[in-house]
Amino acid sequence: MSTDFDAIVVGSGITGGWAAKELTEKGLKVLMVERGRHIEHGSDYVTEMKTPWDMPFRGVGDPQLYATDFAVQSKNRHFTEYTQNHFVNDRENPYSVAEGTEFNWWRSYQLGGRSLTWGRQSYRMSDHDFGANQKDGYGVDWPIRYADLKPWYDHVEKFIGVSGQAEGLSSLPDGVFQPPMALNVLEKHAKAAIETQWPDRRLTIGRTANLTQEKEGRSACQNRMICQRGCSYGAYFSTQSSTLPAAQATGNLTLITDTVVETVDYEAKTRRASGVSVLNVKTGERRRYTARIIFMNAGAFNTNHILLRSRSDAFPQGLGNSSGRLGTHIMDHASTVGAIALFDSFQDRTTFGNRPTGIVIPRFRNLGHQPEGDFVRGYSFQGGALRSTWTRGKREAGIGAGFKEKLRHEGPWRMVLVTFAESLPRETNRLRLDPVKVDPFGAPLLQVDFTHGENEHKALTDAGREASAMLNAAGGRVIMSLNRPGVGGSAIHEMGGAMMGHDPRTSVTNRWNQLHDVPNVFVTDGAAMSSSACQNPSLTYMAMTARACDSAVTMLRQGRI
Amino acid sequence: MHSFDTQTGASRRSLLRGGLVLAGMGLTPATLWTQVAAGATPDLPPRVQQLLNRVCDLTIPDTDTPGAVKAGVPAFVSLAIASGIARANAPVADILFTGGKAPAGAGLLDWLGFELDLKTGGKFLSAKPDDQVKALTDLDAGAYAKGAEKSPWRTLKGLILTGYYTSEIGGSQELRFELVPGRFDPDIPVGPQDRAWSSDWTAVEFG
Repeated sequence: MSTDFDAIVVGSGITGGWAAKELTEKGLKVLMVERGRHIEHGSDYVTEMKTPWDMPFRGVGDPQLYATDFAVQSKNRHFTEYTQNHFVNDRENPYSVAEGTEFNWWRSYQLGGRSLTWGRQSYRMSDHDFGANQKDGYGVDWPIRYADLKPWYDHVEKFIGVSGQAEGLSSLPDGVFQPPMALNVLEKHAKAAIETQWPDRRLTIGRTANLTQEKEGRSACQNRMICQRGCSYGAYFSTQSSTLPAAQATGNLTLITDTVVETVDYEAKTRRASGVSVLNVKTGERRRYTARIIFMNAGAFNTNHILLRSRSDAFPQGLGNSSGRLGTHIMDHASTVGAIALFDSFQDRTTFGNRPTGIVIPRFRNLGHQPEGDFVRGYSFQGGALRSTWTRGKREAGIGAGFKEKLRHEGPWRMVLVTFAESLPRETNRLRLDPVKVDPFGAPLLQVDFTHGENEHKALTDAGREASAMLNAAGGRVIMSLNRPGVGGSAIHEMGGAMMGHDPRTSVTNRWNQLHDVPNVFVTDGAAMSSSACQNPSLTYMAMTARACDSAVTMLRQGRI
Repeated sequence: MHSFDTQTGASRRSLLRGGLVLAGMGLTPATLWTQVAAGATPDLPPRVQQLLNRVCDLTIPDTDTPGAVKAGVPAFVSLAIASGIARANAPVADILFTGGKAPAGAGLLDWLGFELDLKTGGKFLSAKPDDQVKALTDLDAGAYAKGAEKSPWRTLKGLILTGYYTSEIGGSQELRFELVPGRFDPDIPVGPQDRAWSSDWTAVEFG
């Protein structure tokens, strides 16, 4: 049967860009569909070179606009007057939450998606993570292990460029790294103090998709730390800087923007998806595109949303949902400030430049055979040390020339450890189609029903104690330590809903990221996650995507799908 | 970029919340912003404008670099109050006024004038400079005393500091500014004369 394209990739973010690159490089004719606007690399990063005094609201932004149009997005610390054009308009793109729950869904609907705004932290998952569900019984067993993904982590890291330090830790496997960014003077001191007192713990520089060496037309990082505005140097991984040019260079890519996929269409006769039905949000025009395979890369929750609303006689609860589990077992990370401490030392030392990564203390809990503490799995810390600047004056008494003179100089060092605890996969945390509310185009809203569980609270409590103890050991005076997680979604690691598993009765996707029910549909964004680990997940999504592309093309060539 | 023109209703409502001073003048954020952008001082009532200018300069005076008024801080504070940055458009509660009573709808600048007048026998603006410094120093000390976390002065001082250090004068003359550092030095000496960086975004956020 002839189709418009060999493959359709739904979404152009971190995984959509990867699917487009891999599939086009393997010779497939690919349509990539992006719901948001086109953003041209470089020339459309309109705030990139602005100073605070160039901005109408000095970078703080217009609170009235934020109240009406960005009520959720503006709670994100990466959302500023400089970056607001890289976040979704909440008024125009509503979602709902189940009664009595809250969820901050932070989104970027645009070419490149959240690859433009992501935190760039790039970590591998380990067999502690892939084996966790089987070990303690939460969720379903992952049908893959680290060995399955390792070559694809290698493949992805080589292409996107990840700087980091090899450490030989079982909980955080090393990767193919560019040279690491440097720990600053206080971080080095803290590392020595912590590792002396706790030999099983490690403080290392954050592994980040910012280049420390130029590669393939992309410059090394300029140490500006304004990545979310867009980087015309191409120094961090984004679709625009990295995967899109590679896909376009093949001549096999067709890209359309301002086009939302309303449904994936199912053909009962062949028991395959035949293509997608789309809506041009600018013109209101609807049409269909056909293809032999579909890659779902809309972002974890939107991939769930599209599948849930792709209802047919064969799949009345949504495409690929014969198990009834589509949309269930969603996760985030439970995150809060583990501890902040002030230091009196090193007042004659400082740094220059804005390093675009912090430090990480990888998971050290529950890695052996004996449980540690009253919770399962673990948490890690990210953070760093810095010297404070003029903003401390808001918290201090003082006026006049002496006060001005004081704020002219750097303030004391402080060090921050932010906790990211694993979020257990639970059936009650789920997505569904809102039974009542619809979007401006008439489609049912996605409803999020999510709360952090007891295990997450216990992990954060332990983490707060440990973070305080480590900063104390480094000579700091702890001024804050929290153990309540932020609202769901606050880690911006929302994932799950189309979890991988061995059994079609209890999971949605198989070991190759195919829908169990519809083998020519591949889910390779965060929706496919069976557990959350406590690492930033994007690198794993990329590796899963590249792996699934490889197997999909093999299956196509063998006539199996 | 957002246009204020579509928001006149919301602006009017926020001005009503924002206090008597601005609302009484028929000022909108749009007109204020035009004035800020043009480097002009917004058209506040002369007494209020004088008060704001004086307090800005007492907080960040001219030294070997220009102070808050020359850096255009009063215009930023006016914009912040009109638009609600740091919730500066919220009415000030009665209880925060010494004596526990406030005129209905009184805003931050109404509160500021009231409190400073109270400390100077009803005439802050005509008081001697030393007495003005003493009055504002008292106000500041009280606002940072334990239990005074809700003092409106904390909000106002925060806006003055933000306005100053995000201006070209405060950000690049008083402090140093480098948008493209090009490198990261993890451990370098710093002396008592070295100025901080206003472009250290992480320190601005977490410092």
